[in-house]
Amino acid sequence: MFAVQRGDPEAFRELYDAYRERIYNLVTYSIGDPLQTQDVLQTIFLKVFRGLRGFRFQSSLSTWIYRIAHNECQNYHRAWRAPHVPLEAILGSHHEIDTRPVSHEQHARQERDVILQQALMQLPFKMREVVVLKYVEGLSYDEIGRVLGCAPGTVASRLNRALTELEERLRPFKRLL
Amino acid sequence: MSCWHFSLRRKLLPYIEGEIHEKDLKRLERHLLDCGLCRDLLLRLRAGHQMAQKLAHQVPGGDYPPEIEAMMAAAGEGTPRPRMRVQAWHDWVERFATPGVLGVLTAVLVAQLALLVASNRDVLFGQKSAATIKTSDLDLNDFHVLDIADLKLNTEPHIATEGYVTDVHTDKEEGTVAFKLVESQSAPGPFVVCEIMSPIKMAAPRDGSYVRVYGVSRYDAQTDRKWYEVNPVLDIAVLKH
Repeated sequence: MFAVQRGDPEAFRELYDAYRERIYNLVTYSIGDPLQTQDVLQTIFLKVFRGLRGFRFQSSLSTWIYRIAHNECQNYHRAWRAPHVPLEAILGSHHEIDTRPVSHEQHARQERDVILQQALMQLPFKMREVVVLKYVEGLSYDEIGRVLGCAPGTVASRLNRALTELEERLRPFKRLL
Repeated sequence: MSCWHFSLRRKLLPYIEGEIHEKDLKRLERHLLDCGLCRDLLLRLRAGHQMAQKLAHQVPGGDYPPEIEAMMAAAGEGTPRPRMRVQAWHDWVERFATPGVLGVLTAVLVAQLALLVASNRDVLFGQKSAATIKTSDLDLNDFHVLDIADLKLNTEPHIATEGYVTDVHTDKEEGTVAFKLVESQSAPGPFVVCEIMSPIKMAAPRDGSYVRVYGVSRYDAQTDRKWYEVNPVLDIAVLKH
């Protein structure tokens, strides 16, 4: 950590490798667009690198990095409001979906992933973020609260709304999941 | 209708995950028995929870993004790389550190050190430097000659006076030598205190000898001493051993 603060590129490379996938998940689910994801990811790590010298260990390093990522995704959404694309527009209505058992397990998993991802992308940014931090990143309520700058109770309420909305959107595709 | 038990609804997900505190568990289960809305919410949350658990981990590409790569490269150029510096130092030592070169370097270093010590003795050892004033260059005829008893009438800065040396005292800490000059060894009478001090270096006269002292006339008017002085002494001529 101190080596990174001194500006050692090797140490920063290690830090980047340790956090790249975690932050990539948050950014991907927050933004959706792969090209924009790469840009935002770069911006986040540039800010991490530049800000590390001033990092005073008042919070954990991961919380601090997640917080930078959260702020950057929020900035992105303020600047570029993601257009609302109904899930049906991508997958068709549930009457049109082929509900026969899938023949290939891998194909089924890929299809499930797409459905889940697209359903998640329909949620408002704030709800999407708590779901990703909880279910993809595995953060606790307290940690999510520190990243988002809100109380754990608020995290719990937001998660309740996010999961019920997700369930509602995915209900027609339940057999595929 | 709606249920106003907000705090209990927040416990539903921890309940599903099996991470609810025991005291909350009993309260929540009692409430679920009575509240159909919360039971419905529990079912929906459980389904949403199971779906969210299946969210895939996204894996980024293996390459470093170009800006990150460039930033790390720039940081590498801008900051010292200890390992490379150590290696360069070892290479230099192996190439040039032959016994001959080391001998010459040592000699130069010792000479420099000696010069440094010699020129900073005051600072290093608290010593005053050697005499830099040559009293032989003085024209002793310019000094106003007078008796010790007449010092109180003197107005000249440079004087010469004669007497017997008594009470020679060396102050090693101050690096001074002081003695009393009296007109008579047998009877008390007027005296003058003479002080030899740096940068003038001269031997202290022998106690009891009769000398002529050349120097600067002063009057010391401190509370514990009120007397005439020749301070500093610029020359001493021994007239009678």
